[in-house]
Amino acid sequence: MKSLALVFLFAALGAAQSDPGLWTSYGKNSFGWRYSELDQINAENVARLSPQWMFQTNLPGKNETTPLVFGGMLYFTGPSNSAWALDALTGRQIWSYRSAPPARLDLCCGPVNRGFAVKDNKLFKVDLQGTLLALDAQSGAVLWKATLDDYQKGYSATAAPLIVKNLVVTGMAGAEFGTRGFIDAYDVDTGKRVWRFYTVAAEGEPGGESWVGDSWKRGGGSTWVTGTYDPDLNLVFWGTGNPGPDLNGETRRGDNLYTCSLVALDADTGKLKWHFQFTPHDLHDWDAISDPIPVDLDLNGKKVKAIMQANRNGFFYALDRTTGKMLHAKAYTKVTWADGIAADGRPNLVSGQEPSEEGTRACPGIGGGHNWQATAYSPQTGLYYFSSSDRCMLFYNTTQEFIEGQWYQASTAGRPEPGGGRILGLDPKTGNTVWQFEMVSTPTAGLLATAGGLVFSGDAEGYLIAFDARSGKPLWRFQTGGTVLAPPISYALNGRQYIAVAAGQTMLTFALPK
Amino acid sequence: MLRRPSLILACLMCIPAMVCMAQESNPLASDPKAAETGRWMFRIYCAPCHGIHADGGRGPDLTRGIYNAGDRDIDLFRAISRGVPGTEMAAYSGRVEDDGIWRLVSYIKSVARPENSSLHGDAAAGQKIFWDKGGCGACHRVGDRGSSLGPDLTRVGRLRSVAYLRTSILNPDADVTPGYATVTVVTRDGKTISGVEKNYDNFSAQLMDLSGRYYSFLREDVTSMKREPRSLMPSTYEQLLSGSEIDDLLTYLISLRGAQ
Repeated sequence: MKSLALVFLFAALGAAQSDPGLWTSYGKNSFGWRYSELDQINAENVARLSPQWMFQTNLPGKNETTPLVFGGMLYFTGPSNSAWALDALTGRQIWSYRSAPPARLDLCCGPVNRGFAVKDNKLFKVDLQGTLLALDAQSGAVLWKATLDDYQKGYSATAAPLIVKNLVVTGMAGAEFGTRGFIDAYDVDTGKRVWRFYTVAAEGEPGGESWVGDSWKRGGGSTWVTGTYDPDLNLVFWGTGNPGPDLNGETRRGDNLYTCSLVALDADTGKLKWHFQFTPHDLHDWDAISDPIPVDLDLNGKKVKAIMQANRNGFFYALDRTTGKMLHAKAYTKVTWADGIAADGRPNLVSGQEPSEEGTRACPGIGGGHNWQATAYSPQTGLYYFSSSDRCMLFYNTTQEFIEGQWYQASTAGRPEPGGGRILGLDPKTGNTVWQFEMVSTPTAGLLATAGGLVFSGDAEGYLIAFDARSGKPLWRFQTGGTVLAPPISYALNGRQYIAVAAGQTMLTFALPK
Repeated sequence: MLRRPSLILACLMCIPAMVCMAQESNPLASDPKAAETGRWMFRIYCAPCHGIHADGGRGPDLTRGIYNAGDRDIDLFRAISRGVPGTEMAAYSGRVEDDGIWRLVSYIKSVARPENSSLHGDAAAGQKIFWDKGGCGACHRVGDRGSSLGPDLTRVGRLRSVAYLRTSILNPDADVTPGYATVTVVTRDGKTISGVEKNYDNFSAQLMDLSGRYYSFLREDVTSMKREPRSLMPSTYEQLLSGSEIDDLLTYLISLRGAQ
């Protein structure tokens, strides 16, 4: 067997890194690249990849978690306020965490959780009822708890937190319940809140003029997917969700800042450095929560500090991450609501695409384009990898009275049209798709890129798949027996590279035969 | 803010009976605004499966005035509140207050348009056509008789309208039930095999042809495979059956309501 070789690109990456054999944050590095520098498993030998162990959670519900691996352990969160610590070599359980969610809990999309953050042997996760927890990594004991906001008002939490220096930064969920979104930062040692940034500007604040009356009080703007951090700029980047109510904008005329936006916040204070709104006055539930990925791009012979996002509205964007100015944008799927993005970043709207009483067909559908599924960037290929659903949909609106804590969408979408989606390898310098893998169903899983020249992902039918990172050719697959919603990760232990992924109610690992 | 305390109080008042259950009839039946509130609630919660006009889709047609879970107000209330086991119908008691569920019941009842008035077929004759001339039992099951190649029709009279069933007979491709699409595989030796989808994924297909023979293929082992949103059911019933025979068949189908 080829010895485990590590490709060290740290100096060139510019992002806060961890040991290549470990996986210690949601997106691997602070830029969220989900790029493993391990190359033992590569295009030449991946066909021999074999299962090593499986751990059954025996807990129903969707698994969207990104496992963390350090100290010989694999830590992962599960649905309905659960988590486990497993021996990374054998999959044997070391400890587990369970906490019953409140009997009545308003969740838009299931009792899910997307993972841990770790700092100094403390694990951090959110519970569904909007609680942030610190756990002892050795025992699973709860060290402290902090409440984000009142779950009886519709607030909840599902995202993996992000460690930024001595802060644990986290988002919230609940835009479908008339909440007001925010991003919070807590002291890792005490659990005391250090700053909060509201993603909906209040009356009298900058951006407050983009709302009518007191509509900002229930303006949505959830922050339910983990952001990224640039240590050089000391900026936290975080995507924000849809305004509320989702598909009826009558009560919230205006751009509705800072919903459907990317915000850049000073990491120490939470103050807004810049924002970029992808979909002003969104009417199609196109959250801008997809991974915001910092990357330095060579554009016209000049190196630009960029940040990119495959937005749910169907366009891929590259922005200057020092200013928030748009560099370029290009549709990556069928788009009918806009015929391009102007130089100032505003969409060129196509009329007649707004939701209506009898239904309006628009593309992409209510889930996007690309949704929340984790993306990957490979500095080896220079390609950005993400999934896209390529279906259009009928959008209906309705009027709805706001009742605190109750579903407040004022809308619905029709049956999805037949069709599937794709996994794309895209050149972020141009927005051009370099390769694509057609899928028969809407893509469900996140992605992992490796220095072995591979991209891993899964599908709705339960396959874990390895692709050639340059061509998109599928090189290996394994039927896991459960829908793959989570992103795979990679780690090294005792000289062997592993791939780990949650599928169905199981955590699985793979490695080359000894 | 008050909804949880009020719910708890309502339950406490029921403790002597040791049961906290909804009343049997709709307390909002005489409220003319209840159906209108229920309409927008329906569009949000129910329309994705039951259609924006409640006339069905992935879920049953609710305009027929008869319902899979029972026809009384309390049956509808319970179906919405608790869900329907064995189906995709989820429980909404955690998301919608009792008052809201009754408003949904009011709306659903308001859009009921009992039919059959224009259908004057003979159910017994339709039953004979189903099993003999029409050959429907070669693919469809009713009770313990027939084949499972196509959708089970044991309760179809509770799930679909006459109009929907008429369209399905005359134009089977109009709305193919999920899981019953047509899969066609061309093998390396040039054979074309078509059948009803059992599975279709990025790397394989499993199908059953009209003779009931089962096939499984890996994509890399065949020349091509495709799934199409069309039915294998013949589209010749308009020629095969007279107008009155189709009415007989429809009358039989609409009478199929299974066991409660």
